[in-house]
Amino acid sequence: MLGKLDWSAIPFDQPIPLVAGGVVLVAILAVLIWVVVKGHLPYLWHEWITSVDHKRIGVMYILLASVMLLRGGSDAIMMRIQQAVAYQSQGYLPPEHYNQIFSAHGTIMIFFVAMPFVIGLMNLVVPLQLGVRDVAFPTLNSVGFWLTATGALLVNLSLVIGEFARTGWLAFPPLSELSYSPGVGVDYYAWSLQISGVGTLVAGINLVTTVLKLRTRGMNYLRMPMFCWTTLASNLLIVAAFPILTATLAMLLLDRYFGFHFFTNEAGGNVMMFMNLIWAWGHPEVYILVLPAFGIFSEVVSTFSGKALFGYRSMVLATMAICVISFMVWLHHFFTMGAGPDVNAIFGIASMIIAVPTGVKIYNWLFTMYGGRIRFATPMLWAVGFMVTFIIGGLTGVLVAVPPADFMLHNSMFLVAHFHNVIIGGVLFGAFAGFEYWFPKAFGFRLDERWGKLAFWFTFLGFYVTFLPLYIAGMLGMTRRLQHYDVAAWRPWMFMAAFGMLILSIGVICQIMQLVVSIRNREALRDRTGDPWDGRSLEWATSSPPPVFNFAFNPDVRGEDAYWDMKSRARQQSLEHDEPEYQDIEMPRNSPTGFVCAFFATIMGFALIWHIWWMVILGGLGAWATFVVFAWRDHDEYVIPAAEVAAIDRVNLEERRSLVSMAGIV
Amino acid sequence: MSDQTHLPGHDLAPGEEEQHSVGERVLGYVVGLGLALLLTATSFFIAGTDLVWQPSIPVALIVLAIAQMGVHLVFFLHITTGPDNTNNVLALAFGLLVVFLVVGGTVWIMSHLNANMPPMDQIMPKPM
Repeated sequence: MLGKLDWSAIPFDQPIPLVAGGVVLVAILAVLIWVVVKGHLPYLWHEWITSVDHKRIGVMYILLASVMLLRGGSDAIMMRIQQAVAYQSQGYLPPEHYNQIFSAHGTIMIFFVAMPFVIGLMNLVVPLQLGVRDVAFPTLNSVGFWLTATGALLVNLSLVIGEFARTGWLAFPPLSELSYSPGVGVDYYAWSLQISGVGTLVAGINLVTTVLKLRTRGMNYLRMPMFCWTTLASNLLIVAAFPILTATLAMLLLDRYFGFHFFTNEAGGNVMMFMNLIWAWGHPEVYILVLPAFGIFSEVVSTFSGKALFGYRSMVLATMAICVISFMVWLHHFFTMGAGPDVNAIFGIASMIIAVPTGVKIYNWLFTMYGGRIRFATPMLWAVGFMVTFIIGGLTGVLVAVPPADFMLHNSMFLVAHFHNVIIGGVLFGAFAGFEYWFPKAFGFRLDERWGKLAFWFTFLGFYVTFLPLYIAGMLGMTRRLQHYDVAAWRPWMFMAAFGMLILSIGVICQIMQLVVSIRNREALRDRTGDPWDGRSLEWATSSPPPVFNFAFNPDVRGEDAYWDMKSRARQQSLEHDEPEYQDIEMPRNSPTGFVCAFFATIMGFALIWHIWWMVILGGLGAWATFVVFAWRDHDEYVIPAAEVAAIDRVNLEERRSLVSMAGIV
Repeated sequence: MSDQTHLPGHDLAPGEEEQHSVGERVLGYVVGLGLALLLTATSFFIAGTDLVWQPSIPVALIVLAIAQMGVHLVFFLHITTGPDNTNNVLALAFGLLVVFLVVGGTVWIMSHLNANMPPMDQIMPKPM
């Protein structure tokens, strides 16, 4: 009846996950009860859960990423403490638990923190920057988000029901095959990635189509803001690379469920094929994450330097070059697997070449700042911090791209330090910069600068104190994923890294404090004009938060830096005093399709993990039926009358006029 | 790159492609289906026949397979050379490039897997 599921799945003998799971469960229940008692449930359902508004979906993506960042962060804290204490002892985490923690940490941070964070920012900002009313497929957008949430839910469920994979974040066979991982851990891993992978693919298709097909009047390709270009490149990579991940995991699942022999040791399976395929996805993946971050930094650096982006066209070229070359370097993740000098040399050279367009970008940002009137607001701090940190990460990256050096450093702590250096210094700093920069656009008030700067400095400093020691430990020969060790020379560095983790945690607390303080002071921090940073692209041309239709009328773009151009013209010709002719606007109706689909997908995923076949069929049928019902809908749009559009838009126009006229005096 | 202007009401958003008459569309699909069936049947016929020079059969099959892809692209996926189809053609080119890189790279990598292994007779002890 219930497949492999019985009471032994609940880890009663392991206090840490049980208590952690219990606390989270109580917290979720408390929030739910509060929501129901206060009567917020209809609001949540109508305005958020069923929303197909790209801004709302973007915010929900970022919320999911933030919550999962806390989860993945606690895993990191536990690992750093374990390695600090586990010198010639077992520490406080038994090996099977420690292995689950580092596997969950990697899986969560990449798939459920970095991915939803950047996809959320792209969702929120790209339609606004393109001057359009929504993404190409609004309901599909909602489906994509909820399927990602399903994946995150399944990963968290593994904490209290069953176990998570002990295989590392990419579940390499033969360890992940049934003979070595007979439990449900790898199944949790694989199914949550399969389901959230569909969500990511859907989001990728949606954003590619949006950038290619939906742009406002005059917004041709070479007038798009840099963030739209990096979004295009990143989502092209999603569409091209994620099917590889899906196919590879599907083969692993066939091995596990039906006794196939794709990656087994016996019967002609080849484990190296898994490494090959998973990295053919895995390397583009890191560019999927970091390209949008590059876009964010381009916007931030240009805005806070008060200058157009230096070398815009070279930036576009560099972005598209990275997009293509990222598919030519994947072997550098397994130089040591036995390929000869021909193969290793070619992929090593390709890996060094891909550093060139990235270097072009760094110089472009520096030249944008050169001679600019720089304002060191919090987003700009993150951007400058990124440039410094990312150069170190990039240089160590070029070092490990040299095959002989990689033979020494492969699977060492040096490598761990390197990829944290580029992912934290690149993606996470970028996500935080984007968060600070676009928060006023999403919610209508700015974030508290004092707490923001504190958060930046603690995170920045904490990052170096945590990860520079790991470079050194790697040089001293320490390999990754050690549950305990006997080498005295490593210990001081592990202590230092644990201390760095403490500083990083203070940074996280500052971020939370910043949010709390800002919400409390929101009236004082209110952004009435919709343009708090003296911005340059179209998202600042509408109010904060933007109305559901984004723009009362489609902006007319006449060059790069569209909104900057409009502001300059308005100052000269006071065009903003004309009342535009408002028209009715058609918007897509909200739809529970995404939520219902994900509900059934969750049931199906859970049942697949535990081999509860009748429930698999039920979940699958439910998800399919939801899709059919949506496909047969009659009409899914409603009209906002011109009078209402005018009423909403006039308020913002008034504020904006006073801003322009004030600037005009000077 | 063409100056793509997107006036509301003039541009085609996804899912709003120009509607041809039903008869025209059906005809397109029927022709496509016919060609696809013809190519499939020919492939099966060629594979088992002794009418042609034997070593040419694999080459013939590859040619037929590529023709089959062409039929699918033109009649079912509607890839044309028209100006409104630039995105589709570029997407196809990008897809082909990625498939070529991943498949070609995989074949190359997997065939070099054991390049650093000494020959078998040097690792195995010589049989007595």
